[in-house]
Amino acid sequence: MKRILGIIAIALAIALLFGCAKPADKAASTVIKFGVFEPLTGANAAGGAEELDGIRLAQGLYPTVTVGGKVYTIELAIADNKSDKVEAANAGQRLVDSDKVTLVLGSWGSSLSMAAGPIFEAAKIPAIALSATNVLVTKDNPYYFRVCFLDPFQGTVMANYAFKNVQAKNAVIIREVTNDYSVGLAKFFADSFKGLTGNPDAILAELNYQTNDQDFSAQLTRVKTLKPDVIFAPGNYTESALIIKQARELGITAPFLGGDTWEINEFIQVGRQAVEGAVMSAFFDNDAPLTPLSGVFVTEYQKKYGKLPSGTAVLGFDGYLLAIDAIKRADSIDPIKIRDAIAATKGFEGAAGVVNLDVNGDPIKSAVIKEVKDGKFVYKTTVAP
Amino acid sequence: MNKKNTIRAVVALTVGVAIIAIGDAFLGPFAVRILNLSAIYIILALSLNLLNGFTGLFSLGHAGFMAVGAYVSALLTMTPAQKSMNFFLTPIVPWLDTVQLPFIVALIIAGLCAAFVGLLIGAPALRLRDDYLAIATLGFAEIIRVLITNAQSLTNGAQGLKAIPKYSTTWVVWGAAAIAALFLVMLLRSSYGRTIKAVRDDEIAAEAMGVNVFRVKVTSFVISSFWAGIGGALLGHMITTIDPKMFNLILTFNILLIVVLGGNGSITGSVLGAIIVTVLMEALRFLDMPMNLVFIKTQGLPGLRMVIFSILLMIVVLYRQRGLMGTKEFSWDMLSAKALLAALKPKKRGERARKGGR
Repeated sequence: MKRILGIIAIALAIALLFGCAKPADKAASTVIKFGVFEPLTGANAAGGAEELDGIRLAQGLYPTVTVGGKVYTIELAIADNKSDKVEAANAGQRLVDSDKVTLVLGSWGSSLSMAAGPIFEAAKIPAIALSATNVLVTKDNPYYFRVCFLDPFQGTVMANYAFKNVQAKNAVIIREVTNDYSVGLAKFFADSFKGLTGNPDAILAELNYQTNDQDFSAQLTRVKTLKPDVIFAPGNYTESALIIKQARELGITAPFLGGDTWEINEFIQVGRQAVEGAVMSAFFDNDAPLTPLSGVFVTEYQKKYGKLPSGTAVLGFDGYLLAIDAIKRADSIDPIKIRDAIAATKGFEGAAGVVNLDVNGDPIKSAVIKEVKDGKFVYKTTVAP
Repeated sequence: MNKKNTIRAVVALTVGVAIIAIGDAFLGPFAVRILNLSAIYIILALSLNLLNGFTGLFSLGHAGFMAVGAYVSALLTMTPAQKSMNFFLTPIVPWLDTVQLPFIVALIIAGLCAAFVGLLIGAPALRLRDDYLAIATLGFAEIIRVLITNAQSLTNGAQGLKAIPKYSTTWVVWGAAAIAALFLVMLLRSSYGRTIKAVRDDEIAAEAMGVNVFRVKVTSFVISSFWAGIGGALLGHMITTIDPKMFNLILTFNILLIVVLGGNGSITGSVLGAIIVTVLMEALRFLDMPMNLVFIKTQGLPGLRMVIFSILLMIVVLYRQRGLMGTKEFSWDMLSAKALLAALKPKKRGERARKGGR
C-alpha cells in the first residue's frame, strides 16, 4: 500500500513538472517584462506583499507602454527571494537569465537588494529599489536606483523637527543595534542634531537593544537619570512601542521620535495610550496629497483592495510608474538606455512626491511628519528636502 | 577487482571534471550559480556531517563558524577603497584598513580563525552531551552573531559588507569541495577515523579501550569548524555581500536538512543531499509562477514550492528514515545488477530493521 502511495506521489510530482511546461512565447516582440524581486515568503513577507500590491495596482491602471509608436504590454515576472540572502542572489540571477526581464523592481529589505545588486549590474539591467533605505544599496552600483528617501535625509528631518518644533537642547538615542536601518538613522540624526545645536555633547547617550527584546528597563533607567528633552528611537514597531510603554510607566515624559517603520497599526495596538504623541517621519499620507497622483492612488487602491493603503504600497506604485516614465523618455526598450533615462530623472511626479535622482541614484524628495493622536496617525507637516 | 575499481575511479573523476568544465563553459550564469552553490553546500554539509553523523555530536552552531570564516576572508581580501566605501558610519579599525591578502591565503586564515573559535567553544561545550550540547552550541553561535553585530568598527555591524571580491569561481568552489570530500574520506579511513566512529557508537566502550574521548571530540569539532569557516568564506565571496542576520539559525537548519536528507554518517549522502536540495529548490520555482494546467489555473502562489518541497522531504523521511544513503557509502558494487535488483525488491520488516542497525 505504502509503495503504491509512494509511486502515485512521484508520478504526480513528475506530472506537475511536465504539466507546467512553459507556454509557447506568444508574440514575444510586443511584451516587455518587469522583474518583481520581493520577499513573498519568510520573515519579510508582509513588506514584500505590500509593495507587490502597489505594483499590481499600477499595472492594472497602466498595463502598456508605447515606444516608437509600438504598444508593448507589460508583464510582471515575480521572483520570491524568501527573505534569505543566498536565495535572493539566486532569484535575482533567475530574473536576469531565465525570465530575461528588462528591468527589476524591489526588494523590500536592503540586504536582499544588496545580494542581487552585483548580478543586475553585471547583466546591465536597471533595478529600482522601492523602500530599501540602506545607503550601500545604490552606492557604487550604477544600475541600482530607488524611489524612497534614505537614512541620512530621514535622520536629518527628525533632527530638525527635534530642534525646531520640540525645541530640544539635548537628546538620547535608543537604537536597535541588529537593524541596519535603525543604526543608520541614529547616526545621521546624531550628526545633524549636534550640528543644529552647535553642541558636540547634545546627544547624551546612545543606548542599544536587540531585535525581539522585551524588557528595556536597563536602558530606560539610564534615560531617566539623563532627563533628555527628546528621545529618538528608530526601530521595529513592536520593540519601539514596548519601549515607549515602559518609558511612560517609569514616568519618563520626554517626547519620542521615530522613523517610517512606526507607521503601522500594530504600533498603536501594542503601545495603546502610551504611544499618543509619538512623532515619526513617513513616506506618504493618505489625507495630504503630495502630487495630483496621490489622490488617484488612494482612490484606486481602495477600489481594488477595499482598504486604505498602508506602508510601502505607494512606493511599489511609484517604482512601476518611474519605470514606465523612463522607458518613454528613453524611447527604447534597451535596458542600458532605460538605465540612462532613470539616472536622468528630474521632477518625476509619483504618488509619494516628486522624485529627483542624484548622482548615486537616490531621490531627493519630501518627507511627511505624522503624530499619533487618538489612536490614529495624524498628518502634521511636510518637510521639503 | 581493485585494479578495475582504480580504472573506474579515474574514469569517474575525468567525467566529473569534464562535466564541471562543460557546465562552466556552456551553461548560463544562473545554472552556473546553482552548480557552484551546490559545491559550497557540499563543503558545509560534509563539515556538519563529521560532527553529527560521524562523531555523534549534535551541534547547532554551524552558522556561527561560517560567519567567522566569511567575515575574516571578506575583510582580508577587500581593497582599502572598498573598505572605506562600506564603513561609512564608523571608520574601520586602523590596523585592518590597508590589509589586503591574496585570496587563497585569506581563505586559509578564515578557516583557521573559525577552527580557533571552534576550539574556544568546543573545549567547554563538549563536556556536555546530546541536547545540552545542541543548546550550548546554538547559544555560542548566537553570541558570535551578536558580537559581529556590535563590533561596528570591525565588521560594519548591522549594515553588512558589500562589494566583496567575487573569487568563488566554479573551479575554486568545486576544487574546495573535492578537497573537503577527499580529506574526510581519508580521515575516516584512518585509524583516527575509527576512533571517531567508536566514540559515536559507544563512548564508554571507547574510553575503556583507551581512547581519549574528550580529545577526539574536540579534534572533530575543530576540523568541522575549519571547513565551516572555509564554506562560509566561499559563500561570502560568491554572493559578494554578507551581514550578521544572514548567519542565523535557519542557515544551520538548511545544512542540517541536507545532512539528514543525504544520510547522517554518509559522505556520499551529504554530497548527493547538497546537490539535490540546492537544485530542487530552484527547479521547483516554477510552482510560484502563474500556472496553466489543463484543468487548474493559478495566478501564481508564492510559497507553493516550499510546500511541495516539504512534501517531498516528508516522503523521503517516511520511506527512508536514515536518509537517502543511510550510513552507506558509494561503491561500485552498489551499481551492479544484483545490488540494484535487491534495492528495488521490497524488504521484510525484520530484515530492514536488522540492516538498519549499526
